[in-house]
Amino acid sequence: MNVETKSGVETIHGDGAAVEWLPAFTPASDIVRYATEHRTPTGQAGAAGDYYGVPMLKKPKWRWEIALYFFFEGVSAGAFLLASLAELVGGRRYRNVTRAGYYTSLAALLPCAPLLIADLGRPSRFHHMLRVFKPTSPMNLGAWALTGYGMHAGLLATKQLTGDGPVAAEPLKCVSNLIPARLLGVTGLPFAFTMLSYPGVLLSTTSTPVWSRTRFLGALFACGSVSTGAAALSLALAAGGGDNERALNVLEKIETVAAAFEGATLAAYVKTSEGAARPLTEGRYSKLFWAGAVGAGLVLPVLLRAASPKKGRGRRVSTVVRSLMSLAGGLALKWAVTHAGRESAVDVEATHAATRPTEEAPGWGPSQSKQSA
Amino acid sequence: MLERLTYPWERPEPPAPQEEMGFFTDTTLCIGCKACEVACKQWNQLPADGFHWTGNSYDNTVTLSDTTWRHVAFVEQLGDGEGRPDRWLMMSDVCKHCVQAPCQESCPTGALIYNEFGDVYVQQDICNGCGYCVAACPFGVLDRSEADGLAHKCTLCYDRQKDGMTPACAKACPTESIKFGPVSELHQIARRRVEQLHERGERDAYLYGTEAAGEYSALNSFFLLKDHPNVYNLPEAPRRPAAHLKTNYLWSFGAALGLAAVSALLLRRGDEG
Repeated sequence: MNVETKSGVETIHGDGAAVEWLPAFTPASDIVRYATEHRTPTGQAGAAGDYYGVPMLKKPKWRWEIALYFFFEGVSAGAFLLASLAELVGGRRYRNVTRAGYYTSLAALLPCAPLLIADLGRPSRFHHMLRVFKPTSPMNLGAWALTGYGMHAGLLATKQLTGDGPVAAEPLKCVSNLIPARLLGVTGLPFAFTMLSYPGVLLSTTSTPVWSRTRFLGALFACGSVSTGAAALSLALAAGGGDNERALNVLEKIETVAAAFEGATLAAYVKTSEGAARPLTEGRYSKLFWAGAVGAGLVLPVLLRAASPKKGRGRRVSTVVRSLMSLAGGLALKWAVTHAGRESAVDVEATHAATRPTEEAPGWGPSQSKQSA
Repeated sequence: MLERLTYPWERPEPPAPQEEMGFFTDTTLCIGCKACEVACKQWNQLPADGFHWTGNSYDNTVTLSDTTWRHVAFVEQLGDGEGRPDRWLMMSDVCKHCVQAPCQESCPTGALIYNEFGDVYVQQDICNGCGYCVAACPFGVLDRSEADGLAHKCTLCYDRQKDGMTPACAKACPTESIKFGPVSELHQIARRRVEQLHERGERDAYLYGTEAAGEYSALNSFFLLKDHPNVYNLPEAPRRPAAHLKTNYLWSFGAALGLAAVSALLLRRGDEG
């Protein structure tokens, strides 16, 4: 048996064959690797007030599936909200907005359930999500909201489709006339609001510092979702042709307001997260966050709107470009925030900072026990 | 087929509640033999984690995981040359079995429950591997298995408890560093032990997790420590993730409703002005 040094870590060779360094199937292998790579120079635990730099938390399991889901369900619920508001408030004036909105909401909703199911460790048990009604778990509330919302979005898009002609067979029309569109638009709203509001709250209800230190992640995601929903509608109307100038003007104003809300909640989120937002503000996802979410998603569309022509073809082109940038920004926001959780969980310093004693959570540290004794 | 679809909704009568049982892990008695790790692996038929040296004292297990439900931490501390002697702290870490557990609160399927002994238990036939508990646990206890895609953690030997037996780790512990019993009795034992240590001059001994600390509940599996919790890789003041659920919802629903109201006004006014 001889001992070999490989990047400061010893591997043991026995029986002539190398014992594989961290076999592929090592359960907590990424944490083991982290622990060996981030060893304190003295090799002394507790010297820096931590345990050999080993992360206290486990990395969240959520990856691209969930980031994409948050994006698509946001586009869907945002478009649904505007479509049903347009129908309730404006009636036939915004026929095109309503039509584009219901189509967009269903189209963006289609990948949602498959993405969520693919993310599960045991996809065949996806229906266990609806085994209980448990609002203390935002994920459970989200599963129920998705179910109710999916029914509304599906029915309304179907009615729109039969009414618009492509499937204009008479018997189908009779059935679809039975669907009360305005009523469904109203009963769908609570579900759409929940779909807009729960994703950020879901992430906040964890121990991962970058998500849980702040009270504004839910609001940030909600505003981002409405932004992307409005951008998707503008894109559909501008690219689809036809005389939509009035609707586009209104949507533009809505997008400006949504961007203002999003900017405010984003500032509040970064401010209240303190050091915990580091993976986003200066870490691995900082470029995506600043250039993508803030630059492409918030700043550029506003500048472009001010600079673009007000009428005709030039306006259409600028609307398409602007909407695509808003959508890319919305995706960047959700991608960066979702993935930053994995960086944040292994940020020992941030974890310690997030678990310092406060009045609401005095903890059980030695100072605390001396006080009570 | 029909039964396969309906069984998750079936609710059999739950077992009658028993006295709350828990662990008291007295780190001053731990000698770092890892018998608890081995006994746990053996009884619960958990697979090996591979073989690797970390160089972190004798700790080659590193962390609790889906296949490691007891983990002995080794803290080597050199003296400061001014009276504080060298010392070697050892601590057998385990699921804390929180009285109000973030993993249980977050679980969307109801797979995570409090069993009749007041311990937190993952029902393996219900869990669908969503990973919420992994992110929710402030102690980093739970993990999702790559092998079966489900969340796993210490069951406090639920199966052994059902037959009136001591959990495997406590049974194997040669120094009684791990004590198992009714939580109320363990609290008394723990307090007496701290008093005894203080009398002997070990003034830094204190209890971790015996009482609720603000928003965070007490732990049914609690510890006697001698240094700052972070030194053992424990959070000093864990937060309950769901503590701010209402505030979070208030802000996010508020933002969505506010935006909707402004949008409705703009839509009503049309493009004039």
